[in-house]
Amino acid sequence: MLFQPAIIALLLASAVCVAAMAVAAPFALEVIRRWDSASGSERQLVLERRTYLFSTLIAFVLWTQFAALLLFVFNADKMSVMFVGAMCAVGTLNVNAYGFPALFAQMLVFFLAAGWLAINYVDNRAPDYPLVRIKYVLLLGLLPLLAASFALQLRYFLGLKADVITSCCGSLFSGDAKTVAGEASAIAPLPAMALLYGTVAFAVVAAGRQAIGKRGGYLTAASGVAALVAGIVGVLSFVSLYVYEHPHHHCPFCVLKPDYGFQGYGLYLPLFAATAAAIGAGAVQPFAQVASLREVAPSVSARLAAVAAAGFTLFALVGTFMVLHSNLILVER
Amino acid sequence: MIELNGVRKAFHHGMTNEFWALHGIDLRIEAKRVTALCGPSGSGKTTLLTIVGCIARPTQGRVRFKERDISGLPERFLTGIRRKSFGFVFQKFNLIRGMSALDNVMLPAYPTGEPRRTLHGRAERILEQLKLAHRRHAHVEWLSGGEQQRVAIGRALINDPEVVIADEPTANLDSALSLEFMGILESLVGEGRTVLLSSHDPLVVDSALVHRVVNMRDGRIL
Repeated sequence: MLFQPAIIALLLASAVCVAAMAVAAPFALEVIRRWDSASGSERQLVLERRTYLFSTLIAFVLWTQFAALLLFVFNADKMSVMFVGAMCAVGTLNVNAYGFPALFAQMLVFFLAAGWLAINYVDNRAPDYPLVRIKYVLLLGLLPLLAASFALQLRYFLGLKADVITSCCGSLFSGDAKTVAGEASAIAPLPAMALLYGTVAFAVVAAGRQAIGKRGGYLTAASGVAALVAGIVGVLSFVSLYVYEHPHHHCPFCVLKPDYGFQGYGLYLPLFAATAAAIGAGAVQPFAQVASLREVAPSVSARLAAVAAAGFTLFALVGTFMVLHSNLILVER
Repeated sequence: MIELNGVRKAFHHGMTNEFWALHGIDLRIEAKRVTALCGPSGSGKTTLLTIVGCIARPTQGRVRFKERDISGLPERFLTGIRRKSFGFVFQKFNLIRGMSALDNVMLPAYPTGEPRRTLHGRAERILEQLKLAHRRHAHVEWLSGGEQQRVAIGRALINDPEVVIADEPTANLDSALSLEFMGILESLVGEGRTVLLSSHDPLVVDSALVHRVVNMRDGRIL
């Protein structure tokens, strides 16, 4: 099972990421302990030269994690034909106990990497390395998470056995299931619509306001995370039903299948990209007071907020389009 | 204007063939003056010029330009300073063969994104000032040594730098051409530019145009 091209690619991407971080860790420690921009010592000059190299390396491996999340989900769906009982990605992820934790870890890596990349981007635009210590401290914080994500993926992929009879989305995302997903699926369409459109509208307004006024990064980030949660709840409780044109099929993964024209990617890509941009906008915000970043940080944060606003708007439009073009009637007009 | 503090430079640092070209240089270069670094071959003049001109980085020590540390700048910022604030005339000119004098002069300004028409006009004016307008379309390999040097000076001036750095500017010239160079030097100072050059040519270092001579030997200022 391990010798699937996508699995090899995912494990390689994850392993390379952990290896790069592990290589960068001693350097990060040296920066944290010994960085002194006032000094012209040989060590300081070496640190200045190398920080660019290391941050470029780390930025590259973290960017690969964005693609890895997409591939992970795509691969989970694609492999569902190999397991008895699996109809979509849920079945594949349920083959052993590590599937969903691996997915959640990958998602967490995705969003935290977005924050780190935003900080790194801003730091590279100042002439005096103002965030160098902060970004390497954060990098050391990311290392255990990346290692955990790699370990979970490895355990998950090593534990994929074709003779396992797995359970699929019908049991996990049923309104009767006593799980968080089940509870979310059980929300009635109207309150779920109100929650989704209200939260997404708030996130768009907050991000749009920041994009214009260059202030309010924390609100953009918080409302962005809220919009992600509301968006997923909305997909579980009503958007998916309209896509499948079935009043009891709540699965958030089947929408990714070719049977439904891969429509789910149209929903999730803008939602996740917008949330990542919103987190980036918030991550950059605290540094607007740093002397050399007074112009750069608000400007980058505002641009990220604009991306977030556009992404959430697109998500809402795509979701609305799916609802309006469905033959299912959940809410009487 | 330019201040060097404890600048040291090693080549092949940490390797068996490690060589220290500069040993703790402390130097202050005044604005709108001509400063000449004088010393025998191997004294570290060229290395020092490349460090001041942001072409090389020191192994140790700091270089400040207009009160701003430039030795630790990330490359993206250093490129801008190198392009806009410093004009470099190399000892062997380093012109691009197969290209005309005019194109060679214009080349360093291409990354600035200036409109070609503006750039072209400025390059023409510079070549005219350097009495080389009639040779502007000639390939640089067809030019004489003196003409090539003037093209190199023109190229150094295209981005209107505050500082012109010239490495052994008269090393490949006869006396008449060297005097011609001194005339150009005078006009550069007259335009308010700071000139830093290296030379061991008495015609240059003994000239009244040179405000200060810094003697060097074995990577140290004497």
